[in-house]
Amino acid sequence: MGFHLDWSGVLAGAPLHWLVTGLVTTLAVTLAASLLATVLAVGLLGLRVADNRLARGAARTIVALFRDTPLLVQILFWYFAAFGLLPGGVRDWINADHPWAVLPANVPLISPEFLAATWGLGVFSAVFIAEEIRAGLQALSPGQREAALSQGFGHWSALYHVLLPQALANAYQPTVGQYLNLMKLSSLATAIGLAEITYQVRQIESFNAHAVEAFAAGTLLYLLLGVVLGRLLLAIGPSGAGGRTSEERQADARPAGEGRHGL
Amino acid sequence: MRGRPGRGVMDFDPGVITRNLSYLLWGRLAEGDPGGLLLTILMAVSAGALALVAGVGFALAAWRCPGTIRRLLFLSADLIRGIPLIFIIFWLYFLLPALLGGDVPGAAPVILALAWFSSAAVMYSTLAGLEALPKGQREAALASGLSEGQALRWVLLPQTLRNVMPSYVALLVSLVKDTSLAFIVNVTELSTLAGQVNNRTQLYPMEIFLFTAALYFLLCRAVSLAGGRLARLRH
Amino acid sequence: MTQDTLSPPLIEFRSVHKHYGTVPVIRGIDLTIRRGEVVVICGPSGSGKSTLIRLVNGLERLSAGDILIDGQSTAGLDGAALRRLRTRIGFVFQQFNLYGHLTAAANIALAPRKVLGLTDAEAFRAAATLLERVGLGDKGDRYPSQLSGGQQQRVAIARALAMRPEILLFDEPTSALDPEMIGEVLAVMRSLAESKITMVVVTHEMGFARELADRVVFLDEGVVLDDAPPERFFGATGHPRAKRFLSQLLSPLHQVGG
Repeated sequence: MGFHLDWSGVLAGAPLHWLVTGLVTTLAVTLAASLLATVLAVGLLGLRVADNRLARGAARTIVALFRDTPLLVQILFWYFAAFGLLPGGVRDWINADHPWAVLPANVPLISPEFLAATWGLGVFSAVFIAEEIRAGLQALSPGQREAALSQGFGHWSALYHVLLPQALANAYQPTVGQYLNLMKLSSLATAIGLAEITYQVRQIESFNAHAVEAFAAGTLLYLLLGVVLGRLLLAIGPSGAGGRTSEERQADARPAGEGRHGL
Repeated sequence: MRGRPGRGVMDFDPGVITRNLSYLLWGRLAEGDPGGLLLTILMAVSAGALALVAGVGFALAAWRCPGTIRRLLFLSADLIRGIPLIFIIFWLYFLLPALLGGDVPGAAPVILALAWFSSAAVMYSTLAGLEALPKGQREAALASGLSEGQALRWVLLPQTLRNVMPSYVALLVSLVKDTSLAFIVNVTELSTLAGQVNNRTQLYPMEIFLFTAALYFLLCRAVSLAGGRLARLRH
Repeated sequence: MTQDTLSPPLIEFRSVHKHYGTVPVIRGIDLTIRRGEVVVICGPSGSGKSTLIRLVNGLERLSAGDILIDGQSTAGLDGAALRRLRTRIGFVFQQFNLYGHLTAAANIALAPRKVLGLTDAEAFRAAATLLERVGLGDKGDRYPSQLSGGQQQRVAIARALAMRPEILLFDEPTSALDPEMIGEVLAVMRSLAESKITMVVVTHEMGFARELADRVVFLDEGVVLDDAPPERFFGATGHPRAKRFLSQLLSPLHQVGG
């Protein structure tokens, strides 16, 4: 196969239709998993900063389990193993046709693939989002909490009124990075046959061997999605949140005293 | 392929693991074809080494050459981090044999893709570490007559590498997990073999994927632990 | 003092200007420092005193004018020539700036090894001697984080001496120290002053100035307002602005920031 490009094999006919279906599916699974991740992250963060050792220990365990195993294996687990644990009636219902839950371009929202991908991505991302915000909390000077406590704030009200607003502003950009990452990671759902962009790109490649064009189209779609989504999320974020990358925060969080010569 | 009805947590059968244990741990090593957990480790280590060298090199280039070179490095790093890792694997998997015109071992494109992807993060971490050093360190080195290059080599870089060590360890842990993407192109590392065993046996997805996850978990923990030891040791 | 006026000029500032963007910091300074002199530079914060000595070894670039070292122009020096100049000038920083990854001895030995090309053995032998000289003969294998501020600054002075410089520049060497550690650093500086090496010291330690300086230069808003031997600077005929500065320095309620 030569390297002369022939876009008609990708941007016309069935392949074009597949790409559109893929784009809608990627958008849908990203949106659904983002909502789920947000809800779960709030719960996890609550456990993580609770004034209770047991709760904090449970949260630490959850974080470790999901952070230190590959997302792909998690998705395979949810799809192949966990789905089988659902009651038979529920499985049958999920497997049945639901005309009311089908997006344009014939994208079903209730299918084992879509639900397993949404759940897997949501749980995995929730862990990382909660950890970003917790890092934002940790980066605050202990004096902030001490000042709030000495003014009579309790544990939760100090968190809510004094610490979280600052932590959210500080952690906003890395948190946006996690949502963008979720979008990119949705490509792993191709492993369980969810017909999102990556799946469609491979389908085109095996259909007419226009590999370069198909890969290029997929690459551009993800880049475009990333730029649009990133702009959108940063635009609605707090104004002070610009300019800090996760690397800068990492650098801030490095062990104090290295190379600094305090007295 | 999905979990069959009627099997639950209660029917957990570890036998499928013991029957396939050696296959999952090192694949067909006896036939000279390492796979499974062993291949996962080999891929992560080689991709990590490549990413470290390339990433630190990029960071030094960006540090020494502000302006166009630095902007180009940032642009390519952002580009590489802006697309899914799977696509980098696709590209290299397709282009490498086409460019080299011969047989490329299946793991090579994946290793290169992982290294390329991770080198961007290594570059950003290293550069942030360099910039986080007190600026007096560079001034003191220059004031005693060291050149910019010598100051970097003997004063700034050693301290940066030590300070950034925790980030490097975290990146290596990510790399270990990212090797699982080789599943998509059928390179016989741990995830791919787990998928194979699952397809072959059909009845034991719970056992197989929990065991696989446990192996990854232990490996990641071991890397974190060893990395933490190393970082403390050098203080 | 008497024989110093006879010795040749070593550092000559010639209508030196420095501005950052549009903000002027040094606004036309002419000043001559002779070989063997100990000159204290003082003035309120923001007066440009640190910038002035950082211009001497090229840590800051001149905006206009020239600085002659031993009769040679240094304006526009860069690359190897600037590095050669810097080996002749020792610099001691306010924040010590010891290299965090190296022991005290290795800090001192680094530039002699890498710039002067000494062997490791030679460089470390010289470092041991210098550590003795600053009273830290037993601390050679300690890392900076294991040393007190005063000890770090003495190592930093030894590090500056390791290049056998003709000139030593001090940028507020005691300002970052706890009060009880200032004495040990000043003691080392006193022994250096008595060895007749050329020293330019930016400091608020007026006791040091009174006792050891040949001249005190008072800077304010980027110009030299007074340049006099200590007896005259601290005496009745000193510049009125310098007097106000000195009285504020002595009265804790009007402490000027470092």
